[in-house]
Amino acid sequence: MSSAAADMESHKLIVKLFVEDPSAIRADEFVPIFHSWIQMRLVAGHQLIDVADYKHVHDGPGTLLIAHEANFAMDRGQGRLGLMYARKQPLDGAFRQRLASVLRIAQEAAVRLEEDVRLQGRLRFRGDELLLRINDRLLAPNVPQTFAALRPDIQTVLAELYDGADVSLEHDANPEHLFGVYAKASASPSAAELLRRLGGRT
Amino acid sequence: MTSITWKEKLADSIPQDWASQIDLFEAQMALRKQGKIDEKVFAETRLRRGTYGQRYDNGRRHDGLTTQELVYPNNPLTKGPDTLWDAPGMQRIKIPFGALNPQQMRVLADLAEEYSDGICHVTTRQDIQLHFVHIEDVPSIFRRLAAVGITTREACGNSVRNVTACPLAGVCHTEVFDVSPYAKALAFYLLGHPDTQDFGRKFKIAFSGCRDKPCALVSIHDLGGIAKTKVVDGKVVRGFELYVGGGLGAVPHQAKLFDEFVPEEELLPLARAIGRVFARLGEKKNRNKARLKFLVARLGIDEFRRIVLEERRTMPEDPSWRRFFDEIPRYHEGPGQELVQLNGQKKPQGYDRWAATNVYPQRQSGYATVTVKLPLGDISSDQMRALADITHRYCGDHARTTVEQNITLRWVHQDKLVSLYRELQQIGLAEPGAGTIADITACPGTDTCKLGIASSRGLAGELSRRLAEQFDSMPPAVKNLRIKISGCFNSCGQHHVADIGFYGNSRNVGGYTVPHFQVMLGGRWRDNGGSYALAMGSVPSKRIPQLIEVLAGRYVAERQGDESFQDWCARIGKKQLKEIVNQFTAVPPHSEDPSFYSDWGDPREFTIGDMGVGECAGEVVSLAQFGFTQAETEAFEAQLMLDAGEYQKADERAYRAMLTAARTLVQLQWLDVPDEPNVIVAEFRRRFVEPRLFWDPYHAGQFANYLFSRHESPDTRYTQDTAHKLVEEANLFIDAAHKCHARYQASLNVLKAPAPAASAGPTA
Repeated sequence: MSSAAADMESHKLIVKLFVEDPSAIRADEFVPIFHSWIQMRLVAGHQLIDVADYKHVHDGPGTLLIAHEANFAMDRGQGRLGLMYARKQPLDGAFRQRLASVLRIAQEAAVRLEEDVRLQGRLRFRGDELLLRINDRLLAPNVPQTFAALRPDIQTVLAELYDGADVSLEHDANPEHLFGVYAKASASPSAAELLRRLGGRT
Repeated sequence: MTSITWKEKLADSIPQDWASQIDLFEAQMALRKQGKIDEKVFAETRLRRGTYGQRYDNGRRHDGLTTQELVYPNNPLTKGPDTLWDAPGMQRIKIPFGALNPQQMRVLADLAEEYSDGICHVTTRQDIQLHFVHIEDVPSIFRRLAAVGITTREACGNSVRNVTACPLAGVCHTEVFDVSPYAKALAFYLLGHPDTQDFGRKFKIAFSGCRDKPCALVSIHDLGGIAKTKVVDGKVVRGFELYVGGGLGAVPHQAKLFDEFVPEEELLPLARAIGRVFARLGEKKNRNKARLKFLVARLGIDEFRRIVLEERRTMPEDPSWRRFFDEIPRYHEGPGQELVQLNGQKKPQGYDRWAATNVYPQRQSGYATVTVKLPLGDISSDQMRALADITHRYCGDHARTTVEQNITLRWVHQDKLVSLYRELQQIGLAEPGAGTIADITACPGTDTCKLGIASSRGLAGELSRRLAEQFDSMPPAVKNLRIKISGCFNSCGQHHVADIGFYGNSRNVGGYTVPHFQVMLGGRWRDNGGSYALAMGSVPSKRIPQLIEVLAGRYVAERQGDESFQDWCARIGKKQLKEIVNQFTAVPPHSEDPSFYSDWGDPREFTIGDMGVGECAGEVVSLAQFGFTQAETEAFEAQLMLDAGEYQKADERAYRAMLTAARTLVQLQWLDVPDEPNVIVAEFRRRFVEPRLFWDPYHAGQFANYLFSRHESPDTRYTQDTAHKLVEEANLFIDAAHKCHARYQASLNVLKAPAPAASAGPTA
């Protein structure tokens, strides 16, 4: 582990998993699903609070499931529909462990959504691409130095996730954006398989 | 990576006094966590910094099936009475007269993204609100705002709230002069002023450049100034027609004329004098009577004026106002740079529709103000950043929020409108219809507000969608109507001054609570909110879209010449309007159509607790509904009498309506209660008020006091104002009786529920 990455104090990590075919999904389908997650207390380790719906906002945060520890969102930012997990409260471990944890929680949610009978199998997440961000302009400014510092740990975690497949990282260098890295893999495992590799339950 | 805080990073960017105040607040947070500051004191402290509570922050939320306890790490630590420390809250950010520059817009975008849910929400008073904010993030938010010249100080609490002004100020054709620098001067003069720290309630100020237009809504404010000039000794001098004591809320008041002309140099000292009188004589204990409007009503405008002028004459000198006043002549706004003219650009599809409603040619030749229509007042962080860039490139860095929850871009060169439109299209902000029926105003309602009863945003979203689809085929008269929606009677959506207004309430039907909206017709948006609507009856939330179609259709079909909607309402009369509304009051049984029993945009069943449906309850409900219907009818008759100028009759009928509703409740326990006012009031007090059954968690016994006050000491002046007030109170009393009935029935059902298996164990 790089020492710089180990020092990355921000816990506000974000993972976005992109939907394969957004045209198969209606914008209003996630409100009742997220309400039912609250009713059934489906997400371990999270105090689920409420659902916020911004489907009326163009390329906005979509439908959010607000929790104390994090927000889950079917996000439409930058024009791409995806499941976003945005951590708000601290996680244990160094940066590498925290990154693996948010990936696991996001994949668990993805599998849960894919299996929701109300969506009738229409929702699938891409297994070959994801977006990592850090929601903290103070501790993780979106500059090349941050990317250089975090790259080794990101590569290590994603190498385990993609089980040896080629993974390329591209820094989102837009200075107005949060620090972000697009990861693309040569393989496209299912959400369930990715979750299994992260040690989560399917 | 080095660890650094925003406090360290921005140390040189924040004015010293603002930095000290933020440090102090952070210290108060620490003391509260140690239990060294009382929770009530801390609550008012944070409120005066704009840090509000939000729905479910008491740690309980009904999920549609049951009430869940919300368990947070810091439980039971609170940040106010019944308000958990970790529960997400709302941060209100004051934007004086709505003025924003690109740097501020970028910071707002960043804050929404990093600490909220990625949305900046524009309010009906030109503020920006962030929701789902954790209190531990608040000091960083304050510091980042302060570094770009924004303070949240006194955005909430019993203080001078955001000073608003017409968003067209400075570019408007009908204004007498630009009120922007005066709004700015007064906002910062009164900010934190010692004479504004001891109010019993909030204090709202607005400025308008002219009398006739609605942009600033002076009539609904505690203090309002309308620009005016006067020739004195052969010279034109500036001043203001000054109004006081306006306000919406549960009992709306039109502002009263304080002075036909207050010279500009008197504005700040006189506002201070008014603040001192309000602090000294305003109600402090009963928050429901504590706004300035009640003080003005109690004293009468003449006596209030006399006291204020005496205060102005004798109050201690405070030369600090001069510093703010002297800034006024230096205020300047204009285009950032002369732009290269690009004539002959091809208009993209949709441009003409957009330009017809969203572009206002400025007083300054060659320039236009563009209204960016925000759906439900919401703009994402990405959109806000893009809009900041646009504001810099097209508008000389000048944008403003509006009371209709939009953003205006000023000083756009008219030859650049087409390219601006294309850029707005790219970020999804080129929707036409600004300032039309499709541009609906709505407060947060049940989405996030603790007081919300029904989903104002859900209804607004549904209506916006439907009306946008129909917009092109609408007659112009319908396009120009305004719809405004509040989630409860507190009027944050300003439903009183809309052509068609709604506020949320509920009704009990067959043992279920059904979301409803009270229909408000006849309000006047023009003339600075010139007249207020009256309630026409409650309609189930799910029937509101049909009601609007019928109302608009009747208006178009029956309209005479250029008759306005208000004039049409007045001509056909409230009886006919009531008949239209009554067509939509029916609620199908739950078994036939359960959709009526949940609100727009929220699939949870709209319910109170674990209520069931019992046969006995059904009978009681049937009897109670009959009584409530009679009470509502009497309240409506009181309105008709009020309109006819029969103020004593209106007063007596409104009193009768409250008695009927109270008797209906008493009959739940004593079926044969005699129809005698003294008996009804005594039994109602003993059976429902004293045991706190007729009780509102936020308004306590306020509604019961309406009846007690009228019964025990009737106001025999019988003026339009006193009768109007009682009619409003009667409607609120009936609403409260409905809620009391629902709670009462729920408690009966709990008692009747079979004992759970676990409790049967010991006897087995």
